[in-house]
Amino acid sequence: MITLGTQGKNTFLEAVNVKSGANVLECYQCGKCVSTCPVSQYMDFPPREIMQMIKLGLRNECYMANSHWFCLTCSACSGRCPREIDIPAVMEAVRHLAIEENTINTSTKVKEIRKFHQIFLEMIKRYGRNYELRMMAEFNIRTRNLFKDMHLAPKALLKGKIPLGVKPLKSAKAIKRMYEIAEKLEKKK
Amino acid sequence: MARVGVFVCFCGANIADYVDVPQVVEEVKRIRDVKYAIEYKYMCSDPGQGMIRDAIVQYKLTSIVVAACSPRMHEKTFRKALSDAGMNPYLLEVANIREHSSWVHQKDKKAATEKAMDLCRMAVAKSIANEQLHEISVPVTKRALVIGGGIAGIQAALDIADARIPVVLVEKSPSIGGKMAQLDETFPTLDCSQCILTPKMVDVASHPYIELIPYAEVLELQGFVGNYKVKIKKKASYVNFKTCTGCGACWQKCPVKVPNEYNMGIDKRKAIYTPFPQAVPNKPVIDAEHCTMLLKGKCGICAKVCLPGAIDYKMEDEIIEREIGAVVVATGYDMWDPKPYEEYGVGRFKDIITSLEFERMVSANGPTNGVPVRPSDGKVPKNVVFIKCIGSRDEAKGIEYCSKICCMYTTKHTILLHHKVHDSHSYVFYMDIRAAGKGYEEFVKKAQVDTGATYLRGRVSKIYKKGDKLMVRGEDAQIGQVVEVEADLVVLATAVIAPKDNPDLARLLGISYDKYGYLSEAHPKLRPVETAKAGIFLAGCTQAPKDIPDTVSQASACAAKVCGLFSGDTMKKDPMVSTISNEYCSGCQNCVKVCPYGAIVTDEVPVGHGSKELRTVAKINEGVCQGCGSCVAICRSMAITLAGFTDPQIINEIVSI
Repeated sequence: MITLGTQGKNTFLEAVNVKSGANVLECYQCGKCVSTCPVSQYMDFPPREIMQMIKLGLRNECYMANSHWFCLTCSACSGRCPREIDIPAVMEAVRHLAIEENTINTSTKVKEIRKFHQIFLEMIKRYGRNYELRMMAEFNIRTRNLFKDMHLAPKALLKGKIPLGVKPLKSAKAIKRMYEIAEKLEKKK
Repeated sequence: MARVGVFVCFCGANIADYVDVPQVVEEVKRIRDVKYAIEYKYMCSDPGQGMIRDAIVQYKLTSIVVAACSPRMHEKTFRKALSDAGMNPYLLEVANIREHSSWVHQKDKKAATEKAMDLCRMAVAKSIANEQLHEISVPVTKRALVIGGGIAGIQAALDIADARIPVVLVEKSPSIGGKMAQLDETFPTLDCSQCILTPKMVDVASHPYIELIPYAEVLELQGFVGNYKVKIKKKASYVNFKTCTGCGACWQKCPVKVPNEYNMGIDKRKAIYTPFPQAVPNKPVIDAEHCTMLLKGKCGICAKVCLPGAIDYKMEDEIIEREIGAVVVATGYDMWDPKPYEEYGVGRFKDIITSLEFERMVSANGPTNGVPVRPSDGKVPKNVVFIKCIGSRDEAKGIEYCSKICCMYTTKHTILLHHKVHDSHSYVFYMDIRAAGKGYEEFVKKAQVDTGATYLRGRVSKIYKKGDKLMVRGEDAQIGQVVEVEADLVVLATAVIAPKDNPDLARLLGISYDKYGYLSEAHPKLRPVETAKAGIFLAGCTQAPKDIPDTVSQASACAAKVCGLFSGDTMKKDPMVSTISNEYCSGCQNCVKVCPYGAIVTDEVPVGHGSKELRTVAKINEGVCQGCGSCVAICRSMAITLAGFTDPQIINEIVSI
């Protein structure tokens, strides 16, 4: 049971709107995003329900959902949304708020997704670009699943889909510097 | 000897695909009286009609048979073709070989062809006995009666009167204005209801062609289209409107307080009152049910303070008679009483109100000066829950239809609430949002996005009390979970229902009504303002729930119909009416009972030539008769004949097959 009307102002809605630049109130619950989304079937709550939950101010329920972690930010939903709502931005806003308030879904899937994000960022920081082979290895090691998808490796290697080495970008140093500044700013908060 | 011409239509593929048209023509040519027969692709087209016109002249035809679609479709077209060729149009017969043969026998071409032949033979046989008939002219009284002084009645009256046709406007309550006068603002433009209505009310009162009879009701309607006689009961107002100046001294001093109907009983009015400050006419009436002077003979204060001496406690109901030619019925609607919703605690919880009560509260001239308050403690509510479809679409409560306006007025209420109480929040429980209308969907968006009203999809299951709040429980189907809203005030969007007097009025006028009490139009699509009875029209919610733009449109449509009816000094009418032979009539009056139009009355004629002794016979008023034939069938003396369907015609048809 959800009780409404006791919290006063819907601060969650306001926070999401400010962070995403979208207006969640615009959503009229048609569900086109749900049938468009390639991963909605894996989500606890499809995008339409997330939008309604934000409208109702269900902050914790929303944070604890896995939907915003599963969102690929492919923007298929917003491309088709009749009210032109930037749904991926809303999902991203929820992700950010969930991290800020440290209320995160604890399921293995979400943990893996977060590790994936982390490793990707590390790759960029180090090489200025992605290094697929290392990224895969790191992911398998850190998720303690060494042989995950290993059977695909020979085929992919033969087709040249996984380069064995990586040539760091010329601007890698500058990118690293960007990271450092961002981290400093983050700490100041 | 009759000379019949037969014209068989292909109707494109509609007939030709399932009926062998050339074979039908060949067969028809064998009939002795048929002098000319031909087929054509589209008989109703201009060349098709030309063929008929030419053949009439060339072959000196005496009657015409067109074998085509239903006479409902093109009988008038072909009659006109006959007239154009100088032939009496009623010498036409239509054999319906489309609806009655090709469309219903698509699987058997042979049988369909044979049936088409039979239909043609019958039509030829009947046409031989056809007689020349002439349209009937009926004189017209050019004055219209409008029943009901809401926005529908006001608009109809003004539009008719502007065409310089006198109008008698009868209103049940002391002032015109109706429900619209109770509204604060109107959707979707939010213009002030009173501001757009009261000028029209004043126009009605001052219009030289409108006779306004307030505080009155229709008692009796007699006669027929163009020639009605109406009896109106003018209820005793106990105030002489001619001398009363409307100064207001009487109602200020009156000691008797009565719940105020205009404000939905939220505050009190006096026993002598005008319903609202902008009332038209702005003259008070005495409520006989509550006035102590009229009940017990004590008081008399109003008479004492009335300087012009307009109070007259001895006034009695007055019967007014008027001759009129047409009637516009615009009796409006009532709001459904939500008492059966016991699960919501209606009646037990004071802070559950209806939408019209909310409307009065947020209205600037309302009992709370435009601020909504909780009836229980007078506090301004912060969380307000609106529940839609209260009664509407609830078959268990006996109302299957959608009331059409609740979605929009609830949307308006959320916006008005936001305007009046800035830190309030609206929750709307709904089943669907029906916002079909110009600017309506945009208006809903305004409520949802700009005012931030929370829409929850589901019917409320129950309401219970928690402290001084009301807990409203329902499902939000959008997230598939049960939600409870803590509410300060609950507003029920109650259904629109037909006025409870509608069935009585319908019987009195001789028109039909549906199972809900709404008056029935002649055709749901193509004749939405006429009733089945000629000269009686419907405007506004008395026919079905509708919003103000639709009501005004229908009222103006009624006015156009009335003006059309009154466009000549006489009216033309189909000559297919019954006539009674006094010689054969035994005066049993069975026909009087079966006539659905009240066209037959009794009359007295001398028993014999020059005799002074009288006997009763039936008499048909051809102005009212619609030619249904019920009287012909019931008459045991075979005294009644229906023109166009005489015994020789029918017998010819039967014999021909």
